Amino acid sequence: MLAMTATQPDLPDMTGFDPATLDVRGLALSRGEVRLFAGLDLSLAPGQALLLTGPNGTGKTTLLRALAGFVRPDTGQVSLGGAAVQDVLGWLGHSDGLKPNETLRMALRFWADMHGTSRRAILPLMRLLAIDHLIDRPAGQLSRGQQRRAGLARVALANRPLWLLDEPAGPLDGAGRDRLADLVAWHRARGGAVIAATHQTLDWPDAATLDLGARL
Amino acid sequence: MSTLAAVFWREARLAWAGGGGAAGPAAFFLAAITLAPLAIGPAPELLAAAGPGLMGFAALLSVLQSAERLYGDDFSDGTLDLYALMPMGLPLLALAKTLGQGVATLWPLPLIALLGGLMYGVPLMSSLMLAVSLLAAVPALVLLSGFAGALAAGVKRSGLLIALIATPMMVPVLIFAAGAGRASFEGDERAAANLLLTLAVSLGTVALAPFGIAAAVRSRLG
Repeated sequence: MLAMTATQPDLPDMTGFDPATLDVRGLALSRGEVRLFAGLDLSLAPGQALLLTGPNGTGKTTLLRALAGFVRPDTGQVSLGGAAVQDVLGWLGHSDGLKPNETLRMALRFWADMHGTSRRAILPLMRLLAIDHLIDRPAGQLSRGQQRRAGLARVALANRPLWLLDEPAGPLDGAGRDRLADLVAWHRARGGAVIAATHQTLDWPDAATLDLGARL
Repeated sequence: MSTLAAVFWREARLAWAGGGGAAGPAAFFLAAITLAPLAIGPAPELLAAAGPGLMGFAALLSVLQSAERLYGDDFSDGTLDLYALMPMGLPLLALAKTLGQGVATLWPLPLIALLGGLMYGVPLMSSLMLAVSLLAAVPALVLLSGFAGALAAGVKRSGLLIALIATPMMVPVLIFAAGAGRASFEGDERAAANLLLTLAVSLGTVALAPFGIAAAVRSRLG
């Protein structure tokens, strides 16, 4: 993996962030009237990665949305070491947050400005994800996999220590999954942490796995 | 502050580029004020008297016509999730977003109201007063339809829900804005007072509606 990242000609040069720790205690979540799980503890330190697995409907997305503060848990606490969720999270949900009529250049510039990241990081990140040749295409003309890569570039541009990714590799091909692994390795090397819900096997080195299906 | 401007211009640009921008509300407005005389009848004094009220009424409906896209698209493409995670906070962001989209889609309405007033035989000064009061009403109209749109984001056939929620809240601004044009036409000195009241409602809406929109967005995301 180190060899792979070393072959990347230029990794994005971005200002550092304060590493974040995630600590979850006794979390219980429901969807509607159905209890998904209870008593979930988990913690994540800088540089670590956690894969959420389990069959459909076991609450992977709901757990991610609870960690992001969108869903209020029934009981339990999510703590980010005193930091506010807005200053810590890079978020990739089910959808990529792209506008069909907006070119990737305009979209990524906007998100870089919003997060106070230098626009010079855009091209290296797009190169890392092999979508730099699509920069002037409207998002609506891209394939699902290309849109996913653009969404990942947006997450990286946010320059936030904790990434929450919902099915990041869903529409990606084999090469795309390798690019994703490179991106995640780069993020972890900078002291970032990642939680990803996934159905694919993602061979990220030293990634812990939490099988929500096995908890039932 | 620069991030607020970035949101404002992006929303204005997206509304402009995607789906015709100002064309939808403008076409709706034009159709309404062109068809109304066919129903009311051609008597000039009748049309001139009804003109200011009709303009206000048709403008309100054409704002509602475009309200569905205000938050529905952002909800389904995941943009609302990202906006909710912005450090600037959702109320300010909702204000910048809604006004940006409102400016891009609703700017023709006061102009059409001016021309429409003249077309109905309303004197120039009264038509101008009507156009200015509609301009003053636009922030209130767009923020109220934004609030309704945020409450209905992600709901099937949200247009119906938006009309039901937003219409009652738009009553005061409609009364004052149309009242300004009507009073001016009747030579009543209350025209200026009506205009100021329209502005007051708009300013109050600018101050309060963003918090309502933010709360509505949060409840839709949960």
